[in-house]
Amino acid sequence: MKRTLIRKTLFLLAIVLASGFAIFRAPLRLGLDLRGGVSLILRVKVEDASPEQQREVVEQTRQILERRINAFGLSESPVQAYGSRGNELLVQFPGITDASRIKTLLQSRGVLEWYSVADGPYRSEREAIAAHGAVLPPTLKMAATKPAAAGGQSWYVLESRPIVRGTDLRDARVAADTMEQPVTAFTLSQDAAARFERYTEANIGHRTAIVVDEQILSVPVIEDVIRDSGQIRGARTPEEAEDLAINLRSGALPAAIEVVEQTMVEASLGADSIRAGLQAGAAGLAAAVAAMLLYYRWAGVNATLALLLNGALLIAALSCFGAVLTLPGIAGAVLTIGMAVDSNVLIFERIREELRAGKSSSAALAAGFSKAFATLVDTHVTTVVSCIFLFFFGTPAVKGFATTLVIGLLTNLFTSVFVSRVAFDWEVLKRGRTSALSIGMPG
Amino acid sequence: MELFRNAHFDFLGRKWWFILPSLILILAGLSSMVARGGPLYGIDFKGGAEMEVRWEGRPPIERIRAAVSSRLKGVSVVAAHDLTGFNEVLISAEVPAGGDLTSVRQTMDQALSTITTRYSIRNFEVIGPQIGQDLRRQALMATAGASGGMLLYLSYRFRPAYAVAAVVAMLHDALITIGLLSLLHQEISLSVVAALLTLIGYSMNDTIVVFDRIRENRRVDRREPLAETINRSINQTLSRTVLTSGLTLLTALSLLLFGGQVLRGFSLTLVIGIIVGTFSSVFIASPILFAWESQRAGSVARHASLSAGGVR
Repeated sequence: MKRTLIRKTLFLLAIVLASGFAIFRAPLRLGLDLRGGVSLILRVKVEDASPEQQREVVEQTRQILERRINAFGLSESPVQAYGSRGNELLVQFPGITDASRIKTLLQSRGVLEWYSVADGPYRSEREAIAAHGAVLPPTLKMAATKPAAAGGQSWYVLESRPIVRGTDLRDARVAADTMEQPVTAFTLSQDAAARFERYTEANIGHRTAIVVDEQILSVPVIEDVIRDSGQIRGARTPEEAEDLAINLRSGALPAAIEVVEQTMVEASLGADSIRAGLQAGAAGLAAAVAAMLLYYRWAGVNATLALLLNGALLIAALSCFGAVLTLPGIAGAVLTIGMAVDSNVLIFERIREELRAGKSSSAALAAGFSKAFATLVDTHVTTVVSCIFLFFFGTPAVKGFATTLVIGLLTNLFTSVFVSRVAFDWEVLKRGRTSALSIGMPG
Repeated sequence: MELFRNAHFDFLGRKWWFILPSLILILAGLSSMVARGGPLYGIDFKGGAEMEVRWEGRPPIERIRAAVSSRLKGVSVVAAHDLTGFNEVLISAEVPAGGDLTSVRQTMDQALSTITTRYSIRNFEVIGPQIGQDLRRQALMATAGASGGMLLYLSYRFRPAYAVAAVVAMLHDALITIGLLSLLHQEISLSVVAALLTLIGYSMNDTIVVFDRIRENRRVDRREPLAETINRSINQTLSRTVLTSGLTLLTALSLLLFGGQVLRGFSLTLVIGIIVGTFSSVFIASPILFAWESQRAGSVARHASLSAGGVR
């Protein structure tokens, strides 16, 4: 008897140490709603494609966006599929409050093309068409420059077939030119380089247009034979040049995307709500523990120990799985604590009933635990069943709730039955089988 | 200390004392929802933009409303004072149809800056109408799925009557709580949904504890009339029911009183839910179980006497 009890106690201590280690090694990460940051839901515009094509395009988009975000230095933000429609993506940026730059970065398609200029510039589209006798031949097309800071824009007529496309690129990065202006330098793939070399050789003195996302960025004149690298001017700020480089490097998006939801939480708000919530939760828990101690005496201590270990195990399990704690997750934890308190009350009331029926301490303990266990299994499994459905049909927030709750229930089933049983057994061992249990009943 | 040491309350005999107020509450909540044209959804579910702004000093609510209304439609401005003593204002507006979601923040900010510069934006959320619709549908599907799952598991572990009674009691709780939220002008946001899920869990847990005892007592003594078994089981578990609910209510109340503005919807829902959920497992679930089982027993008895007559 004593030896098994010592073994069980050592086992419990090992668990406490292990969970302490797990929490220490990988502290629980806070979700966006608690930590502050920006969350975006993006829709990939692929409505008219077939389902398989859609899936492919969305997945490609997801990967490209992830590459862009990584290149931007926010590797903590994976792009996840979102919703049931299959064409929406969720991405969260913890710790960022101004999302305008990252949004522009994600939303621009990043399609680069290099055309040969037929003529221009014109002051308006109409003027450009008029110069070609009202109708443009199919070999030509029109493009406008990116609006300047002052708002001015001009039009050029280009050959419709590009000389170089975005897919011909091998690399792109930011550089500074001789006049300290930010430029985006790029390198072409071997195949494209050969083509480009032939073209530039034959067309020295001609004007060309570098077009990104249907807007002309610059109109350089070919001054020399260009082999495999070039520069794009026209960025207004170093950031713009850098973003263009990131987008060219990570590839063009196969479809346009739009932002359908944006949430921004100020970090201080998150901090406030964590502090208030934690304080209130701690106060409430302290009151509950005090009431249990008052009502159950020594047995209340057992329940408190079980409760504490349950909390530690829950946090340890969550940090092991790399879960992120959000507000709904806290709701799941609150329900877990509630059910943990309930499990102990259920067991203790059962033990009291058995004691009232005249059983000895150890017999009442055995009967109380085994009868209450049947009830506990039913309540816990029912909740786990509902959580499974919540997990599969729910939104990310509801999923967080379900995950926390299921882990909490599993740990609770263990702590409420095992931990307080070990504590009770020690009490019986110390005081003898026949003495009364301290469970708050008048002796 | 012991609560209800030898309780002998006749719960089933007085069931109408409890079912009637509950029906009245449900009706009141439902009519309040009908009067409003549906539940009061937060922007999570209906789409729109919401900005939380902290002001230095007293916020000029009327001027804020006028400034924002001149630029956006469907504007509402609510001041929220909490125990921490900050002056916060919640501004919400519709998102212009087909417009750019991302420009709404700028528009609001511009409108506010015409009044003063002494404010800080704490939180901004903009949700397209399509996403809101999706969330609503998903929440409904999740609830239906979870109810179905519990119904199946309980039918397997107990009997269908127990399962139906438990699920009806759970829906009763959800309905009353949503109705009360509507009466109290509390919007249904995502965190309120989290609280609803929590209270459904509590209520289910409570009901199962009582049912478990009924099943156990039935096994021990089959000849005792069902009404008495049910009453006895409720009385036996009464101190557990009251203790557990009291202890969890303590935590939820402390969240409501000291947990701050952000958690308000969540903790209010939880407080209502714990009270209603405890009530329903005793006064709603058990009478339903009794009504169902005694009707079945009646028809079984009739069948038995019929077939016995056939033999004779």
